[in-house]
Amino acid sequence: MATATATFEPVLTKTIHLPSSHTLAVYKKHGGYQALATALKKTPDEIIDLVKRSGLRGRGGAGFPTGTKWGFVPKSTDRPKYMCVNADESEPGAFKDRLLCQKDPHQLLEGTLIGSYAIGASRAYIYIRGEFAHEARILEAAIEEARKAGYIGSNILGSKWSCEVTMYLGAGAYICGEETGLIESLEGKRGWPRLKPPFPAVVGLFGCPTVVNNVETLACVPHIVNRGWEWFAGIGPERNTGPKLYGLSGHVKNPGVYELPMGVSLRELIYEYGGGVPGDRAVKGVIPGGASCPVIRGDEIDIQMDFDTLTRAGSLFGTGTPIVMDDTTCMVRAAWITARFFAHESCGQCTPCREGCGWLQRLLWKIEEGRGEEKDLDTILSVTDQIEGNTICALGDAAAWPARGFARKYRDEFLQHIREKRCPLDGGSLH
Amino acid sequence: MPAVKAFVDGREISVEKGTNLIEAAKLAGVFVPHFCYHPGLPVVGVCRICLCELEGRPKLVAGCATGVEEGMKIVTRSKKVADARKAVMEFLLIHHPLDCPMCDKGGECTLQDYTMLLGPSRSRFRFEKLTWPEEDVGGKLVLNKNRCILCMRCVNLCKDVAGLDEIAVLNRGEQTFIGTVDGRMIENELAGNIADICPVGALTSKDFRFKARPWELTNVSSVCPHCSKGCNITVGYHPRRNEILRHTARENMDVNQWWICDRGRGGFHHVHDPRRLTAPLRRGEGGLGPTTWNEALPAIARTLRDVITRHGARAVGVLSSGTLTNEEHYLTRAIFTDGLGVTHVDVPPRPQPEVVYRKFTIEGDRDPNARGARLCGIAPTASGLGVRDMVRAAAEGSIKALIFLRGGPLDLFGEPAIVERALGNVELLLVVDLLPSAVSERAHWVLPGVSFAEKDGTFTNSQGRVQRIRKVLTLNGDTREDWRILQGLGRALGVTTTPDPDPERIFSRLAQAVPAFSGLSYATLGELGAPIAAATADVAVG
Repeated sequence: MATATATFEPVLTKTIHLPSSHTLAVYKKHGGYQALATALKKTPDEIIDLVKRSGLRGRGGAGFPTGTKWGFVPKSTDRPKYMCVNADESEPGAFKDRLLCQKDPHQLLEGTLIGSYAIGASRAYIYIRGEFAHEARILEAAIEEARKAGYIGSNILGSKWSCEVTMYLGAGAYICGEETGLIESLEGKRGWPRLKPPFPAVVGLFGCPTVVNNVETLACVPHIVNRGWEWFAGIGPERNTGPKLYGLSGHVKNPGVYELPMGVSLRELIYEYGGGVPGDRAVKGVIPGGASCPVIRGDEIDIQMDFDTLTRAGSLFGTGTPIVMDDTTCMVRAAWITARFFAHESCGQCTPCREGCGWLQRLLWKIEEGRGEEKDLDTILSVTDQIEGNTICALGDAAAWPARGFARKYRDEFLQHIREKRCPLDGGSLH
Repeated sequence: MPAVKAFVDGREISVEKGTNLIEAAKLAGVFVPHFCYHPGLPVVGVCRICLCELEGRPKLVAGCATGVEEGMKIVTRSKKVADARKAVMEFLLIHHPLDCPMCDKGGECTLQDYTMLLGPSRSRFRFEKLTWPEEDVGGKLVLNKNRCILCMRCVNLCKDVAGLDEIAVLNRGEQTFIGTVDGRMIENELAGNIADICPVGALTSKDFRFKARPWELTNVSSVCPHCSKGCNITVGYHPRRNEILRHTARENMDVNQWWICDRGRGGFHHVHDPRRLTAPLRRGEGGLGPTTWNEALPAIARTLRDVITRHGARAVGVLSSGTLTNEEHYLTRAIFTDGLGVTHVDVPPRPQPEVVYRKFTIEGDRDPNARGARLCGIAPTASGLGVRDMVRAAAEGSIKALIFLRGGPLDLFGEPAIVERALGNVELLLVVDLLPSAVSERAHWVLPGVSFAEKDGTFTNSQGRVQRIRKVLTLNGDTREDWRILQGLGRALGVTTTPDPDPERIFSRLAQAVPAFSGLSYATLGELGAPIAAATADVAVG
């Protein structure tokens, strides 16, 4: 693995270290908007086919094949179609989309435009997280630059196709990153996820066919157009192709965003790129892809970072943004912090998530405080079972999985808290 | 939508494609519990108690939000479904105060019923519960958020049926609550329906709460007497106290769907008005004083006969009311028009501003049965006078006897000064009514009639639908049902020879005599009523 990644040249983050990398001038100097010109000479179906063949899977966490998603948009309809860019990156541990918005907004815009063209949309909305005020300003400026340069607007690059791009700043809710919550929010309503079916590809924004794509997903698209699907499909393991941004955080010497092929080993990521753990302490556990992914133990980190491998291992690849925890970490507290996040972000719409998340948080805090009983551990597992699969959207599952993961993988540590009636690590390094 | 074949717990059903699983299961006799689903409201799928299993699908689906497809195998009795329902029940109860003994909804609470049905009987939640203060959210409702399960029915009723966003969901997570916007009150006139459809004791009716337990009430199907729409209602009365305590909406898809307005909901208080007339009155030296029916009816008849003998039937005016039943209108016609040859017979119109909500209209006629009056011929004949002309003729002296089958304020019948002069002029002023009014105060004779809740009968609504009202209360004091009063008068006047013992038999005569009602009987009207014969002219008696 080490040799494979050593020769990998960054694609998505190739120019981010350059001064003014966010400007149109720098973007164009490095071949920017050539893919859009190429794409506009092809038919939308050819673009969808290209993306399908590349094997690109959504980088927002679910890993759904992007080309397939685009293909669901009905062709014969009089209704307008919409492209929505999900820049509501809010999951603890994830900060890769932020980098793309901040350092290379034109790459995102180009991908957005090509995607819009492919699905037949003439309007795209970029829904950006409310806290990303700085990135929002950069993105706004980039949209303006692109509009002036004729990449956004009427008859783009002399074609018959027109497209407007509008940025929308969220108001601070994790749930608005759920695609139908995002759509509701964009419509000016509470960001409550919708019942599915119908799926957004058929009934989405303003009741019209809509595709919601993650920032990193769309950033890949211009490169697929430029270099061909074979190039993209040649990176990473089968069914898990392409370059990937890994946002590494927690107890590592060099946290940050690393662009590497899909399927890099987690150990390599932590030790080769992250520089290992400060003080060379042992890795106790890793949340591999953002807070909703079940934790894996320190002795399980020889694992390929891709969708299928992590799912097989009982965890999830998520957004591919590992949070590393060393042996000073109290895993009960880590579980509680995660549960507290989901309880706070549960939209409150459906019963199991609204009530279950708060209950989990209380149970975990009770154990962490040293008031726990053994039956509380059973209750935690049972409450996660009662939430999972019974909710309108995946936030319920996203809250249940990590709590269950912590309680199962670190059962001994939970029991130690209960037996000793205190946190053996005095809360550990997390607060 | 075409019919498809599907299976509910192995039982085959044929159902329109796309019917949701709750309704489809009903066809198979299988009950799927539900809190947020209501057939009259948008599907929100939030409570999750209706989760069902579909054979071949790994995940449970919300029964309310899933449409039946050809060959679908719906399973409601698996362990998976039972576990999910139990889970939802446990979740709903973790912060619930479990205050059934002091909750007004107790006895008709879906949450209480399902807890008995699905359990669990104990909670594993051992933390302090979230609590909220009780809140006044408008003229008719009290909000207790502790009991709320956030089913959204109240929000969707205001939004979808009234078309107003007067109540909303606020905040998020377990802090989510139902509330009014910026502390404003819910003012729409459909808000009372919220108390009907709230599946818990979160939004209860100020008017009804703490008056009685629902199981103490006897519920009787009736029709609202407060406008020409003819909404179907359930009258809940307390038999021991002989008192109506509430009106609730009764489903009738042809009339009011699942809703009634708040005027109708509170529209029983006049029945228990302490000023109710409870005995016949006659004017003597010191004004109106009590008398008996045995004295009153023959005396009234004598005076009326005398007026007719001296001045002819054209000296008599009969002012009926759109609040009386079809049966009473029929008797009025039979006695006065057919029996005595009176030509001046009319009903004063009582218009009101129409109130149009998104899916419900409060109609512009305050009378429940003006249509029935016209159908029965309570309208001036070619040579007869209408209400205002009758009053003017009485003021000028050509009409000598006025019979008001309901009183009212003077301006209901014409220019008040003219009405006053008319009432002072006539030789006979008879008023039948429930409550004293400006007209009855001037009467020679006042006979105490009864309300819609104290007699049987039928109303014909603006759409021409004939629907039954039912006697709910036992009669108070010396009051009599209006149909009985009319029969008594008819007998005293010698025009009614064989009085019918009940309104049902009066109705069968009516159905014989009035083409619009032909073919109808109390049996055919049933609970939901039936339309009059199509294309019948309103004044139809030959």
